[in-house]
Amino acid sequence: MNLSTFLKWAGPLAVAALGLGCSTTTINTTEPAVPTARRDMLADQRVTTDGSLARAVRVRGVNTATDAQGHLKVQVEVENTTRSRKSFTYRVQWFDAQGMLITLPTATAVPRALEGGEVGYITATAPTPQAKDFRILFLEPVTR
Amino acid sequence: MPPRFRFLWPAALAALLPACSGPKTAYVEPGSSRLVTTLDQVNIQDFAQAADTMVASLIDHLINPGQLKTGVAGEPALLAISRIQNNTGQQLDTDLLVKKIRVALLRTGKVWTSTTIAFGGPEDPLAAEEQQVLRSSAAGTNRRPDYTLSGKIIEDRARAGNIRQTAHVFQLSLTKTPEGIAVWEDEKTIVKQGTRPAVGF
Repeated sequence: MNLSTFLKWAGPLAVAALGLGCSTTTINTTEPAVPTARRDMLADQRVTTDGSLARAVRVRGVNTATDAQGHLKVQVEVENTTRSRKSFTYRVQWFDAQGMLITLPTATAVPRALEGGEVGYITATAPTPQAKDFRILFLEPVTR
Repeated sequence: MPPRFRFLWPAALAALLPACSGPKTAYVEPGSSRLVTTLDQVNIQDFAQAADTMVASLIDHLINPGQLKTGVAGEPALLAISRIQNNTGQQLDTDLLVKKIRVALLRTGKVWTSTTIAFGGPEDPLAAEEQQVLRSSAAGTNRRPDYTLSGKIIEDRARAGNIRQTAHVFQLSLTKTPEGIAVWEDEKTIVKQGTRPAVGF
């Protein structure tokens, strides 16, 4: 093998090997298309940047309810469309009537796993009655 | 391959390497998925997760149904922090859990927390001193807590082969005073399995 042939193949192979070793993770989001609370299934708006996660963990629907004290409750129905256990994390962000993010020390990413074909529910209660909107971020596990 | 492309692949590789290897030290958002996760310790994300669950449970089962009663009309219910027992093998500052809950409850507008009446002494000694002065004067009486928050953090370990499992159980109770009746209780268990510590979860 001469030098030019070696360089022709070694480069792509090395790049492919590196790609396997450091995969990227990006976020999918789900949020209401019409930013007002309803008690039934919500029309949601999704931004998908990680297609494989969106296919594996499919959001089937979002429903909300507001109770007497004004706290918004959200329930997201998710389905693992694969045949094997799928882990992911999610984060719930709350926004007030002006669209401002409500920050709290309890806000955190929550790890979750669904068995193959399992349908699960993610439920969240707004921390304050001022929370009128929400956004849920889905992310692949980023363990390294 | 033309000579001018001979250095193209090595250059591409060199460009990829910095993108894949992260910085040695970096700031990480406390609510992100990229925090260090260890088996032997209660990590900060575990406290946040437990606190989030507890606050949601308090809102769902006590505040929303209108079960939270206040001793003074027009004011939120007053909460005092009682003993939060650490039954784990590590030294923990239980405020990592309790403070998050206090902040979140305060934001609901339904609960205030006393800083002068607490298990183990007042959190704010100066405020407690002022309260003593007020109590000794003819001006009036101090407000007593309507509820106390107590709890326990428990650890359970198991091992199968080289897989280790640690469970941290967070138990909290809200007791109505002076009746001494637990009007709300909940438990959150966080289980971790693995062979070694990791970044991310």
